[in-house]
Amino acid sequence: MSSVLAVVIVHIDLEGDRPHASSLVALAAGRHVASSWGATLYAALIVRDAQGLDATETTLARSGADKIVVAVTDAPLAPLWAMVGNAWQGVLDHLRPRLVLFGADAPSAAELAPRTGARIGARLLTRARALGLDDVELRDRDGGYARVADSGAAVALIGRADPIDRADDDVDLVVLNLPGGVDPRLELATETAAEIGHSLGAVVALGDDVVDQPQIARHARQLANLLGAQLIGSAAAARAGAIEPGAVVEPHSAMAPELLIAVGAALVEPAGASAVVKIGAPAGKLVDGALLGPVDSELAELVKRLEAP
Amino acid sequence: MTVAIWAGSAAPARTIRWLDGALGIAKKLGATVVAAGEPTWLDLAADRAFRAGLASAGVPTDLKLDYLGWAQVVAAVMRELGATTVLIDEASRPERFPEVGAVAELQGAVQLTHVVALAQGDGVIHASRIAGRELQTVRVRGPAVIGLRIAGPQVDEYPTPMPSSHMRRLELDEIGLDPVVLAHRALPPRTSAPSRKTVERIADYLAVHVAPQPGR
Repeated sequence: MSSVLAVVIVHIDLEGDRPHASSLVALAAGRHVASSWGATLYAALIVRDAQGLDATETTLARSGADKIVVAVTDAPLAPLWAMVGNAWQGVLDHLRPRLVLFGADAPSAAELAPRTGARIGARLLTRARALGLDDVELRDRDGGYARVADSGAAVALIGRADPIDRADDDVDLVVLNLPGGVDPRLELATETAAEIGHSLGAVVALGDDVVDQPQIARHARQLANLLGAQLIGSAAAARAGAIEPGAVVEPHSAMAPELLIAVGAALVEPAGASAVVKIGAPAGKLVDGALLGPVDSELAELVKRLEAP
Repeated sequence: MTVAIWAGSAAPARTIRWLDGALGIAKKLGATVVAAGEPTWLDLAADRAFRAGLASAGVPTDLKLDYLGWAQVVAAVMRELGATTVLIDEASRPERFPEVGAVAELQGAVQLTHVVALAQGDGVIHASRIAGRELQTVRVRGPAVIGLRIAGPQVDEYPTPMPSSHMRRLELDEIGLDPVVLAHRALPPRTSAPSRKTVERIADYLAVHVAPQPGR
């Protein structure tokens, strides 16, 4: 292995004082890659105070990190490049990585990952996973990949990784003090709950033709829970108790989620979705997958498959 | 503040609704529409820009670039137009969204992704963006690169665009880019995956979306 492949960084978002679950998935993928490539795996987090991180450090060590980098900033910890970009840049400049991983569903990923790629001239993989046993590679759903023999750097948003064996608690800690980080050109004014129609992650949309079938509604809810998705539908779906009252979306609403799963004849316009899967409806143009059989059995089988470890 | 809007390098994947929504915002800021790519797409972009009452500029090229390659094209056109702020329609095609960060890095500008509402007043841009399940409201002063996810009205059918004389054509070498050098950022050709029609294949496709479960 070339020495330039020596560093793999995983960006860790924090939820309170705990690593975000999606960041830990990325860390697991990083462990598989780093072990295969002979690289050192850094878990990097940005905080305002480096004290009181013992539990976090233990979690990251047991989740596979070889070393932990703590970037201390005086900026507010909002998931915006203008807030934490300077500190993150300090981490990149310090470690000069060839591979940087983010949890695909981690709060900072959308703002930090592409700009990280631009900064280090890296290819970008979205919704990637680690594949292989001895020669592990990262591969995304669009066919992009990162391999040990690649000459360039890569940034990947990790969607899935096999669990790792629990590592020991022994880990090196590096603290970087990176003050003066906020970009004064941007000011964060308010934060409120977003409307359901603005969902950007995964969305499961229930069609009116299936809302009166409790079995389907139950499986749709299970599917949404598995994917961390919003379960949406029409006012009729809410009246039938198939969705929460706050999850009503007007027919033909335009949404732009990363993934839209339409169950039955859902009336949401899939126009802005990055990926579309239909269950119980014909595939049609630009649909990534469709199950044409009875909604009830197809949905139940899909949930069963996704629940399997 | 001189504003451009990057409509992208290919026609919207499923509908022009998001493009029209972005152009509606661009109209309020007096932006110039910028597109690159093959002639049919440039004609469509020019047509929608003309209907929205916006000036447009197009870069004809058959290159298929990654996000860093297109960012170089956008930055070069911004220099040519004297634009300091650029809006990007990030919803029409999924590959657009990483270009927000890439253009911002090249321009040294503030970046904002996932913006769902935007207004301008007193030289300040007021934007609302989605962060997870939160709506953040921010104020931006100075050069910025802003990714928009704003839908226009539903469009069932639209007139077939005709070759447009309204669009200013900018060749790559005219804006200081060497196509041979730029081609180093070309994407490898990929065949489009056939639609998945079995539970096994769809479950495999969805596996990268499964939320982490305790104990798994």
